[in-house]
Amino acid sequence: MSSSFPYPDFSNVVVLDNGGGLIKAGLGGERNPSTVLPNCLLRPISSKKWITPPPATTTPNSDPLDLTSAAVRRPLDRGYLINPDLQRDIWAHLFTTLLRVTPSHSSLLLTEPLFTLPSIQRATDEIVFEDFNFKSLYVADSPSLAHLYEASRSGPTGRLVSKAQCSLVVDCGFSFTHAAPVFQNFTLNYAVKRIDLGGKALTNYLKELVSYRSVNVMDETFLIDDVKENLCFVSLDVPRDLHIARKTGRDNLYRCTYVLPDGVTHTKGFVKDPEQAKRYLSVTHGDTPSQLEANKKEMDQIEVTERSENRKREVDFSKNEFDLTNERFLVPEMLFRPADLGMNQAGLAECIVRAVNACHPHLHPVLYESIILTGGCTLFPRFAERLERELRPLVADDYQVNITTQEDPILGVWRGGSLLASSPDFEAMCVTKAEYEELGSARCRRRFFH
Amino acid sequence: MFQIWRFNAMDDDNSNPFRRMSSRTRKVAPRMAAALASSDNRTHAALARLEALENDNAGIEQIEINEDSDASLDDDDQGYMQKRQSKGTKRKTRQAKALENARKAPRTFLELLNEASLESLPPHVPSYLKAAVGPPSSTSRRHFCTVCGYAASYTCVKCGMRFCSGRCQNIHNDTRCLKFVA
Ligand SMILES: [Zn+2]
Ligand SMILES: [Zn+2]
Repeated sequence: MSSSFPYPDFSNVVVLDNGGGLIKAGLGGERNPSTVLPNCLLRPISSKKWITPPPATTTPNSDPLDLTSAAVRRPLDRGYLINPDLQRDIWAHLFTTLLRVTPSHSSLLLTEPLFTLPSIQRATDEIVFEDFNFKSLYVADSPSLAHLYEASRSGPTGRLVSKAQCSLVVDCGFSFTHAAPVFQNFTLNYAVKRIDLGGKALTNYLKELVSYRSVNVMDETFLIDDVKENLCFVSLDVPRDLHIARKTGRDNLYRCTYVLPDGVTHTKGFVKDPEQAKRYLSVTHGDTPSQLEANKKEMDQIEVTERSENRKREVDFSKNEFDLTNERFLVPEMLFRPADLGMNQAGLAECIVRAVNACHPHLHPVLYESIILTGGCTLFPRFAERLERELRPLVADDYQVNITTQEDPILGVWRGGSLLASSPDFEAMCVTKAEYEELGSARCRRRFFH
Repeated sequence: MFQIWRFNAMDDDNSNPFRRMSSRTRKVAPRMAAALASSDNRTHAALARLEALENDNAGIEQIEINEDSDASLDDDDQGYMQKRQSKGTKRKTRQAKALENARKAPRTFLELLNEASLESLPPHVPSYLKAAVGPPSSTSRRHFCTVCGYAASYTCVKCGMRFCSGRCQNIHNDTRCLKFVA
C-alpha cells in the first residue's frame, strides 16, 4: 500500500515492540515485523518443559501445538517488566532463532510503557547492554510511534494527524488502556490518563462468564482469546442488545456456538457456524431514546416471563460446545463502563476527555479532531462507533470529533518504530553501549525524556 | 527444573526450606491484607475479584524453582548466555542455586511500585500513580446479573454481587457467593 515509505535498503536496527501480550519484532525499514509471538513461556499439559510459543504466523503445514490447558508465565505484569530473567530467555530465542541477528552489531529500538519505574528501566538496560551487548539503544513509548506512523501517511480521507502535528492516541492493549496526547512526536506525559483494563482482563472476564454459565474454561487462556477475538463486539445500545440476546430461536441474532477442541481431530476450538456468528451485523442502529425506554420496560416484563429461557442455555457436554449470547458484547462493555463491573474507574470516553483537559486549551480542538485508536482491543467490531457516540456529547459542539482506527492496530506501533529506526538521525538519538558504561542507566535515560 | 503444584495459595507449607510465596500468593497478599483489615466481606470480595482479572493461571497455584534457568530453550539460543554464565563462579551446587533463585524471585508490579515510593515525588512530576484515570464522574451504575448477564435488581446481602431472579440467586449461592474470598 504505502510504497512511498522512505525506507532504506539496509538496516541493522532491531525494532522490538515488546508488549505484555505479543512481541512484534523485525528490522527497521521493513513495512511489517518479521515475527509476532506471544510474550510468554508455555507449558502444554503434555510437557514438563516450559517452551517458547510458536510465532503467530506459523506455516500451515507445521503441526499445531496443542495449547489446551497450557500454563503460562509472562515476563510482564500489568504491562511492566517484572521478570527480567524470563524476558531475557524469550529475547534470546527471538534474536537467535527467529530474527537471526547479531546484537553486538545492531542497534535496538525498544518500546517501553509510559511511566516505567526506574528500577525496571535499569533492569531493561542491563539486559540490552550486558546480556545481549547491543551497540546502542533507543527507548520509545507506543503513543508517539503510533502518531509518527499516522503523521507520515495520508489516509483516504486526507490527513489523519491534524495540521498542528497533534493527535490523541488511544492505546488499548493487553494490559491497560492509555489516552495519550502527542504533540510533534512527543507524548505529553503529564496529560496521559490510564484505565487499568486491557485484553487480558477481558479474556479473564469472558473465562469467568463461560465457566459460570456453561463449561469450565478457567485454564483455557488461548481458547478464550480465540473466542473473544472471533465473537465479541461492542454494543451500540446495551439495553436493546440485552433484549435481543434473550430472544428464542432465529430471533436471537446474537446466539452463536463455539466448538471446543476434542484433542483428536482438532486441537483448536472454532466458531461452529460463521454465518450465524455474523447475524449480529444485521441489527440496525436507529433507536431513539423513547424506543430505548420502551425496550427497557419490555425487558422488565420479559424478565418475568422468560425466566425459563435460562434452562436452555446449559451446555451439552456430549457435543463439547457452548453457546454465547450477551457475553459477546458484555465483555468489551467493560472498557466503556468499568464501574458497572465493580472497578472504580472512569470509562474510555471520560478518560479521553480528562487527558485532553490536562493539555493547554489551544490543543483541545486539534486533539479531538485527530483521535487515533491503536492496540488489539480496538479491533472489536464497532469499537470506534461506540466511542464516538459516547464522546460526542462530552465535547463542546463547535469542536470536531474524528476517530480513526489504525489500519492494523496490532502492528501500527511497530511500523512507527520501523519508520523512526530508518530516519537519518536515528543513530544520534540512541544511547551507545559506551555511554551506558560510562554514565549508567539513570543518566542515559534522561536523553529519552523531553 | 521441577515444580511444586499447590491448589490453595493461602496454604503455605513452612517445612520446605526453599519455600517462597507463589507468584499468586504474592500478588494477592497486599490487597488481601487490606481487604481483611477492612473486615468487610463486600470490599474483600470486590478487591479479590479485580485481582482475579489479572491472573494468568486461574486454576492452579504454582511455585517453581529453576534448577537450570535456560532449560526450556534450544541450544542455539545459548550463545548470548555463555558470557553471563562464565561471569559467576563454576557451576553452583543445586542448593546454592535454588537459594539464589529464591532470592531473586520475580516480584509483582505492585511490589515494585511500592518500592519506588512515587508518593514522595514533587506534585508536578508525572508518574504512574498520577496517570490513573480516577473514578467516573457519574455515580449511577447499571447492574447486570452476575449469573446470566441481564438487568439485575437484587443485591446479595453477603457479598454484594448482583442477581436478577430466584433462580439466579440459587445459582449464585451455590457457586459464586464469596467465592473470591474463600
Ligand atoms: Zn440472572
Ligand atoms: Zn453472595
